[in-house]
Amino acid sequence: MAKKNELIKGSIDSLLLCVIVQQPMYGYQIIKELEKRSQGYFKFKEGTLYPALHRLEKAGLIRGEWQTLPNGRQRRYYHITENGLSILAAKRGQWLDFLTAMNLIIQPVPE
Amino acid sequence: MLTVLSHYLDSIRDNLRLDRSSEKEVIQELETHIEDEVQELRESGLSEEDAADTCLTFLGSAKMVARQIYEVHSQGSWTQALLAATPHILFGLLFALNWWRGIGWLLGMLVLILIMAVYGWWRGKPAWLFPWLGYSLLPVVAAALLLLYLPKSWSWVAILLYLPLALWLLYAITVRTIKRDWLYTSLMLLPLPTIAGWFLAVEPVNQLPEDWLQRMHDFAPWIGLTFLALGVTVATFIRVRKRWLRVSVLVVSGMITLTMVAYYAEGRLSMPAFLILMVVMLLVLLSPALVERTLRHSG
Repeated sequence: MAKKNELIKGSIDSLLLCVIVQQPMYGYQIIKELEKRSQGYFKFKEGTLYPALHRLEKAGLIRGEWQTLPNGRQRRYYHITENGLSILAAKRGQWLDFLTAMNLIIQPVPE
Repeated sequence: MLTVLSHYLDSIRDNLRLDRSSEKEVIQELETHIEDEVQELRESGLSEEDAADTCLTFLGSAKMVARQIYEVHSQGSWTQALLAATPHILFGLLFALNWWRGIGWLLGMLVLILIMAVYGWWRGKPAWLFPWLGYSLLPVVAAALLLLYLPKSWSWVAILLYLPLALWLLYAITVRTIKRDWLYTSLMLLPLPTIAGWFLAVEPVNQLPEDWLQRMHDFAPWIGLTFLALGVTVATFIRVRKRWLRVSVLVVSGMITLTMVAYYAEGRLSMPAFLILMVVMLLVLLSPALVERTLRHSG
């Protein structure tokens, strides 16, 4: 479990950018979306989501905006920035190359 | 909101050590998250207490969350680092370039320090404020020392009127700074051991002002150098994220600058005086942590 968490920790920036690029989302919604799209694989301590979101915001990759809902509650929606889009494109390329290379090695060699 | 959830948010607030507006935003965001999660867990059939407990388990330790958020927000920009280092650099230049004898330079610097301290205080006490705040309190301490040299009848009146007011001011500012973050109090008090070290090294055995001025003149470049070193310390402090690193930067810098004072004072600072100064430096830099703990427990 600890090793899985380490893997998630190392990929959290890419995961968050991939989710937010679809549409602006708030923290709890991001958690649910990650869980749904990974079929329950990406489940981590939710408190660690906010430091990661704030770090991405400080780096200028996403932008947080408070929005007031019709019921009066406020939520902070995160939008991807232009800079975030270009970083995401680069990260996607790196991941695809990495996965291709991993698959070539990890798959059993036919006898 | 249930007490257990409020306590969780209080614990995060206590450990965040951010400025008021950032703290408010972080807490509001986590509060919304908790409300959403508890509501969904309740809809899945859990009782209010069970939903709250499950939500807290999902969120993880309050201290860990607060520490991670602190590390994201604590790092200042290079501009803030330069701004925070500026009073030390100016103080260093005052001596390195021998401007300390010019009343115009001294007054100009005093006015600048006061303006920056007041501006920073009203702008939500950003990290760069605290070195300026430390220097803005120096004239208050210096005036108290000068009172000792007044004629006796006058000095009693001044002591009775001035000292309570000065002590109240120092106490109020120190306590408010500790409440923000004890490390900023240490940052504010950082030059005190170095000033005390140079004061002991420069003070003449006989009370002739000419001797004092001559010695100040001789030591001025080295005094300047130690304050420039403090400027580098403060800039490093602002740029690092982790608290333990910030504490280490302050303590190591205190040791290095006091060693520089002892080295350049060419034997005018005895070994016992040097060791006492080291202990005083550790007390000055680390005791705000104990005061913060006491303040929290008392209220």
